[in-house]
Amino acid sequence: MTAALTITGVTVRQVLGIKRLVGFGLLSLFPAFIFMVSSGNQSGNALLESFIGIGVGLLYFVAVPVVTLILSASALGDERRDQTLSFIALRPIRRSAIAASKLTAAVTAAFVFTGAGALAMSVAYGIRSSDWNYVIPMLASAAVATIVYAAVFVPLGYLSERSTLIGLAYVFIWEGAIVSAIGTLANTSPWRIGFTAFLALAPEEAQFVEADLGIADPRLGPTLITVAVFIALSLVVTTWILRKRDLV
Amino acid sequence: MIDTAAQSPAFVAGPTVVVTNASKWFGQKVAVSDISCSFGPGVTGLLGPNGAGKTTLLRMLTGLIGPSEGSVSVLDSDLREDPSGYRQVGLVPEEDAVYGGMTARQFIAYGSKLSGNPDPGAAAQRALAEVEMLDAADRQIGGFSKGMRQRTKVAAALANDPSILILDEPLNGTDPVQRAKLIGLFRQLGATGRTVIVSSHVLQEVERMTDRVLAMVDGKLAAAGDISAIRKAMTDIPYRVFIEVDDPRKLGSALVGEDVIDGITIDGGGLHAEAHDLAQLGTLLPRLSRDLDVRLTTFRPEDESLESVFRYLVRGRK
Repeated sequence: MTAALTITGVTVRQVLGIKRLVGFGLLSLFPAFIFMVSSGNQSGNALLESFIGIGVGLLYFVAVPVVTLILSASALGDERRDQTLSFIALRPIRRSAIAASKLTAAVTAAFVFTGAGALAMSVAYGIRSSDWNYVIPMLASAAVATIVYAAVFVPLGYLSERSTLIGLAYVFIWEGAIVSAIGTLANTSPWRIGFTAFLALAPEEAQFVEADLGIADPRLGPTLITVAVFIALSLVVTTWILRKRDLV
Repeated sequence: MIDTAAQSPAFVAGPTVVVTNASKWFGQKVAVSDISCSFGPGVTGLLGPNGAGKTTLLRMLTGLIGPSEGSVSVLDSDLREDPSGYRQVGLVPEEDAVYGGMTARQFIAYGSKLSGNPDPGAAAQRALAEVEMLDAADRQIGGFSKGMRQRTKVAAALANDPSILILDEPLNGTDPVQRAKLIGLFRQLGATGRTVIVSSHVLQEVERMTDRVLAMVDGKLAAAGDISAIRKAMTDIPYRVFIEVDDPRKLGSALVGEDVIDGITIDGGGLHAEAHDLAQLGTLLPRLSRDLDVRLTTFRPEDESLESVFRYLVRGRK
C-alpha cells in the first residue's frame, strides 16, 4: 500500500510540469471565462442553456478529454518511453498495485484541471444566476468523465506511442461525429458518461439536454456501475500488460 | 542440477540464478538462443560484442522480459510470477533509467521505499557514500554527467543490500579512478557472498573483476568458465608464446622440426612460436636450450588474456 501510494505521488508530480500546469490550467478555465463574457445580458432559461452549452461544448467535449488523455497517456507510457519502467517494475510490488497507482495518479492529476474547470463553470453560473445547485453535479460529472478517460488512456498510453493522436481521433471523430449520430453508442463516450452524472444530480430544469446528447438513462446508479466496469477493465488490462508483456 | 554443474563450466554449485534452455526472439530476430547456465555467489562476467545478446539475457534474468522458450529462475522463483523476489535483486540497467527531475538522494530513496525498506533515507545515504556521491546527493540527476548517472544507478541498486546484483555495462562513462573504485566495490560484493553478474564489452574491465566469464556470441553461449580454462579448451587453436633467447635463429631452426610446433616467427631478440600443446613445448625448450647451448630468458604465453580468448571465440563463431 505504501509503495503504491508512493508511486501515485511521484507520478502526479512527474506528469504535472510547469508548462502543463499553465497550459492545462488555462484550457480548463477557458470555458468559464467564455461563459462569463458571453452571458452578461442573459437570465433564466437562456442563461442555463448558455451554461450547459458552453459546459458541454468547451469543457466536456474539449478540455476534459484533451487534458485527461494527455496526462493519462503519460502516467505509465512515459515510464516506458523514458526507460524508467524497470525502476518501479523490478520491485517487490504486485503488478496490479502498479496499475492501480498509475490509474489513481492519472485521475488525480487530471482532476486538478478538470475539477477546477467544472468548479469555475458552476461558480460562474452561480455568480450570474445566484443558483449554486450546479456545483456538485458539475464536479461529479467532471470526476466521472476524468476517471473513464483515464481508465482508457493509461493502458493505451503504454501500448502506443501515438496514444495522444489516437485519443484525439477518438474524441473528435468517434465521440464528436459517430456517437453524436448514433445515440445508442453513448456508453462508449466518456464525457457523455460523465454528463449522465450531471443530469442525475442536476435540478429538473437542466434535463432538456438529455435527448440531445443521446443519454438514455440519466441515473446515478447505472453511471457508477459503468464507471466501475471501466476501472475494472483498465486495471485488468494494465496488470496483464505489466505481467505478460516485455517491459522494455 | 548437480549433475549439470559437474559436467559443464556454464553451471556452478549452489546457484542463485538458473537459466534453462532460454531463448528469446523478437519477430524474426533471435536475440538469445537456447542458453543454459547458472550463477552463484561471486562475480561472473558476461562478455560479448555489441549485439551478442548480453542485455537480452540480463533482462530475462531480471524478469524485465520473458523468455520465448525455456525458463529463468532467481532464488528458486520466477520473478515475473512472484515479484516478492525483487527484494533480493538489484539492477543497474544499461540505459539511463533515471528520473532527471529528482535529486540523486530522492531517486535512491524512492527505489528503496518501493523495495520496502523501512528507512529509505538512511539506505540512500549509505549507498551514496559507497559510490562517493554524497557531495552531489542533492543535485538533480538531469544535470549529471554520464559517469555520475552511472554511479547513481549503482547506488540505487545497492541501496537495499541485494543478494543478487545484475549490472549491465555499469562502468560506461565513468572516469578511470571511479572505474577502479567501482571494480573494487563489485569484487568486494562478490567476495562477501553476493551474486554479482556484470556484462561488459570491455574485456580489461571484466578481467579485473573476475576470472569466471560467460562469453556470448550471436545470442549463443560461446564459452564459460575461468579464462585460462576456456583457452585450454580451445584445442583447435594453437597457443602463441613469446620466447626470448640469445640466439633466436638457432632455436627457431631446431623448433621447426618438432611435431608440437605449428609455426615460428623470428622477431629481434626473440621468437614467436605457435604450438598445439603448451605442456609439451614447456618440456621441450629446456632440453633444446641445453643441447643447442642457447640461453632462454623469457617464456610468455601471448594469448591467454581474456582479449585473445575472446577474439578467438568471436572469430570462430563468425
